[in-house]
Amino acid sequence: MAFSVDYVLKETATNLWRNRLMSLAAVLTIAVSLALVGSSLLLKQGVSVATSQWQGGTQLLIFLQPNATAAQTSAIGDQLKATSAVKSYFYVNQASSYTEFKRLMANQPDLLSSVNQSQIPPSFRVALKDPAEAAAIGQIFNQQVGVRDVEYNRAAIDTMLKISSIAQLVILGLATILLLSASVLILNVIRVAIFSRRREVAVMKLVGATNWFIRIPFMLEGLLQGLAGALVAAVAVAGVRSLFGYVIHHFRVQLLSSFVLTGHDLAMTEIFVISIGTLVGAAGSLLAVRRYLDV
Amino acid sequence: MIKVDQVTKSYKPGQYALRDCSMLVQRGEFVFLVGPSGSGKSTLLRLMLREERPDQGHVFVAGKDLGAMPDWKVPFFRRNIGAIFQDFRLLPNKTVHENVSFALEVTGKPKKVVATQVPQMLDLVGLADKADRLPNELSGGEQQRVAIARAFINKPLILLADEPTGNLDPDTSWGVMRLLERINRTGTTVLMATHDVGIVDSMRRRVIELDKGMITRDQVRGVYGIG
Repeated sequence: MAFSVDYVLKETATNLWRNRLMSLAAVLTIAVSLALVGSSLLLKQGVSVATSQWQGGTQLLIFLQPNATAAQTSAIGDQLKATSAVKSYFYVNQASSYTEFKRLMANQPDLLSSVNQSQIPPSFRVALKDPAEAAAIGQIFNQQVGVRDVEYNRAAIDTMLKISSIAQLVILGLATILLLSASVLILNVIRVAIFSRRREVAVMKLVGATNWFIRIPFMLEGLLQGLAGALVAAVAVAGVRSLFGYVIHHFRVQLLSSFVLTGHDLAMTEIFVISIGTLVGAAGSLLAVRRYLDV
Repeated sequence: MIKVDQVTKSYKPGQYALRDCSMLVQRGEFVFLVGPSGSGKSTLLRLMLREERPDQGHVFVAGKDLGAMPDWKVPFFRRNIGAIFQDFRLLPNKTVHENVSFALEVTGKPKKVVATQVPQMLDLVGLADKADRLPNELSGGEQQRVAIARAFINKPLILLADEPTGNLDPDTSWGVMRLLERINRTGTTVLMATHDVGIVDSMRRRVIELDKGMITRDQVRGVYGIG
């Protein structure tokens, strides 16, 4: 089956131009739907980051002096191991603490630039068998050499974690529903566009065009529309991210200061939006043209 | 060339579009299919294009049993059959040249072939000067000649015509008929369904008459009415 690339490109280009109003409708639908999906995913990611520091059931944080010696550090580790009320613990060194700090404080560049890695305290994160004992155990370790501070007032943390995970679930659910309705909407727009060209498909069949010969330009057309819509959506999602950052920074919303969206989060969301856009565009055309092919 | 063997076709239970029809058309023949609306002429042509399959019986076109032909072979089969219709069936947003060249592009012919054959074909149907017009800028007769050019460009063995003059005035109709006659003289079998009494009577070709899905007359040099 010899398809000339020339033919396919020419056919796709002229079809897009001759049906430009329909193309525009499809592109806009895809753009609006995917912008909503992408934004809600980004929001979910933000909430997840904001609470990530409390994940893993940590109830006790033992901050060491930034200049604590290796001997002091291992002594505290040994003592934690020996304490029967401790369920588990792990050590976070200066380097990873600094990475986490940078992530959490990404919204506050002034603070970031004034602190370097050597000033960041390493810490032990401790999970207890009974969270109620946090205060008592915290007191014991507070007096150790090399310990700078112990944070054990974590009663609120569990509640916060719960709220956060519910919020994330709700947002994820919304995003899924949005994605589903976006797919149906996009499919329908493409279907209408192709319905208006069913005569064209019938004529193609009449002169002996194979099904793939008819499908490929339609699919490429859908793919390009999906891509165009997704790119618009990607720009919108990036805009939403900047807006979040601006609002939090400008109005000093302290409650949300840990609501940070990194470049990585944004990039993943954008990749998702663009792949879904092109996929739905191409698959939508394929599905829509199918019914006019059985003659 | 075309053999219809005891074919029955019905779209609704109890109503027959065709009932036990048999006919044989030889290579190079020119045949008129006549009969009132709903007598089954179009169904017969649709069967020959493999747009429908017979309920019973067999349709052989160019040696192939269409009822048994798998779907994927149909496009390749249709490239050997030209078809024209009362409503022309041109692609409205392609120019005359593009409409004709489309039938060649579909078969994967190289550009060079398209570039030489299409102008020749347009010349043959007398539309060389209108190659860049869109169908709606042409008269009905001109549009039908574009459709004939498209149908004939692959040099088909058979040309099926479903009331090709149905939308045309008598003078233009004759222009189209002269073109079909010319195509027939090149050895192409032409099967034409029509209501046009004048044309059938003066051409004096084989006439097959259908009524209520049955063949009621098959005359070698016939006229439209009972003659």
